[in-house]
Amino acid sequence: MSAVAVPADAAQTRRARTGFGLLILAVAGSLLAYVLQGLGLHGEVPRNLAVYGLVFTGASLGGWLVIRYAARSADPALYPVAVLLGGLGLAMLYRLMDERGRVDIARDQAIWLLIGLVCFALTLLVVRDIRQLDAFTYTIGLAGIVLLLLPIVPGLGYEINGARLWVNFGFLQFQPAEFGRVLIVIFLASYLSQRRELLAAGIGRFGLPRVKDLGPLLLAWGASLAVLLLERDVGASLLLFGVFVVMVWIATGRSSYLLLGIVLFAIGAYIGWLALPHIQERVVIWFHALDPKNVNGIGYQLAQGWFAFASGGMVGTGLGLGSPTFIPYVGSDFILAAFGEELGMLGVAGILLLYLVLIGRGLRIGVERQDTFGKLLAVGLTTVIGLQVFTIAAGVLRLIPLTGVPLPLVSYGGTSRVATFVILALLVRASAGAWYRERKGP
Amino acid sequence: MLADAVEPFALSALKYGLFALLFLFLWRSMRWVVRGLNVDRSPAAPMPGPGARAGSDRSPSQPVPANVLMHVEGKEKPRALRLAANTVIGRAMGCDLRLEDTYVSQEHARIFAKNSSWYVEDLGSTNGTFVNEQRLAAPAMLTAGDRIRVGTTILELAR
Repeated sequence: MSAVAVPADAAQTRRARTGFGLLILAVAGSLLAYVLQGLGLHGEVPRNLAVYGLVFTGASLGGWLVIRYAARSADPALYPVAVLLGGLGLAMLYRLMDERGRVDIARDQAIWLLIGLVCFALTLLVVRDIRQLDAFTYTIGLAGIVLLLLPIVPGLGYEINGARLWVNFGFLQFQPAEFGRVLIVIFLASYLSQRRELLAAGIGRFGLPRVKDLGPLLLAWGASLAVLLLERDVGASLLLFGVFVVMVWIATGRSSYLLLGIVLFAIGAYIGWLALPHIQERVVIWFHALDPKNVNGIGYQLAQGWFAFASGGMVGTGLGLGSPTFIPYVGSDFILAAFGEELGMLGVAGILLLYLVLIGRGLRIGVERQDTFGKLLAVGLTTVIGLQVFTIAAGVLRLIPLTGVPLPLVSYGGTSRVATFVILALLVRASAGAWYRERKGP
Repeated sequence: MLADAVEPFALSALKYGLFALLFLFLWRSMRWVVRGLNVDRSPAAPMPGPGARAGSDRSPSQPVPANVLMHVEGKEKPRALRLAANTVIGRAMGCDLRLEDTYVSQEHARIFAKNSSWYVEDLGSTNGTFVNEQRLAAPAMLTAGDRIRVGTTILELAR
């Protein structure tokens, strides 16, 4: 054993060093962005730089120390990427909200980032082995569905901007679906790792699933439609079904499930289009945002987003020097357009590449896990983040009709921030367990 | 008005500084993602896990490792493995070669070297160990090209 332990230790030290180097770069980049937005907006270094810098650096280091304490051999890149995305997002939120005279909103988001880091640390400290979660398959599944449907309860749930996805407990308002999603992924990983042989059995040369195995797929489809029609939340519905299809596909290795999923998605999308006028409007905006009759009407937001990207060009105007506040909801749905205007194509590409690192590492953890549950969990959680990034980034860029989901860790949204940090903590945990083996490790 | 002329320059210099930091970060973290992506082509050691017994009775007279190709049903690309002189195959954590497969017993089979030949032995598995599709009753000597089947996995001894 000792002969094996020595190189493992060396690899661990190298990982720690890489991770710490990345973390320093992430903190430096975040603080530089914060300084730049102050310089651009007011021509001076932000007055609270010392406090902001100390808290940001301290919190980032705190999270890092928890990883070093609770998950020594964990993946070194995930956490610094999250810190950098969070830091860039905060700098942009401060810049946007300052111009609108609502710095308090940005400050709230900074506090949510801190809460997210605390939840990240707590998750790592409580869940010492990812397989603990495998033990409560149906309890977790039920809890996930309850959270998902909580906004429908009269008196608790309420609507903002036509989607019923908020819950108000008087002292606390949040979007339970963000956490429900995480629980559903854990449930699916647990359920599918027990059932995958059954589901993988197919008939015919195309390996079509047997009719009796279609139950779970149809159930997930029904649940997604329920979320769509009852809560009118296109984004949550799409994420739920997308994650489900990807996880069944990974569990069974049968692309026929992927194909079936796409067909069911098309049918569901058509039903949604027929039933909900605001989906029809989204499609009209998608095609005709720049038409003269729409550009100052229903297409205003998307058109302004495009103008922002256009005026940013290759390197952008510089933080605080553009005018992204023309875009309605720029802090939540359209924050990528604000980056496009002020940091240009380079900045947007950089942010998308940061997500690519996150997703690449997440999928890699899935590959290296030796147990089916861990594999499915890592892939499922990564898919949640990846689908969100794709949905909102492609929506803002007019590749697909706009669907309002937060850009994880960057845009406005407290619940989403915290939920994403919990997802990251689970991924970090999955990369540190005994069931994780790097075959030819860095 | 030198200050007015300098400030935009300083600002854009700082902006490029931010780009530099961002892409330096990306460069360093990307390497981490890309490295080892095509691991399948290189022969890997039998994965020694925590509590692995790799080499527990590796005698100095048996230095020759067995090169095998591992085929897993449903996967196209076989994996090259190098087996130590005493390799326990099974589903349990302590096995030298862990196979996650419901048709594999906790400790399923053992491949070992004796008098410079390779042998395979069934460890009382439920579904049996097969050499060239013949179910093993007693430890059998292996020759190059033999195909050992354990559950849905086939280990092919290199020629």
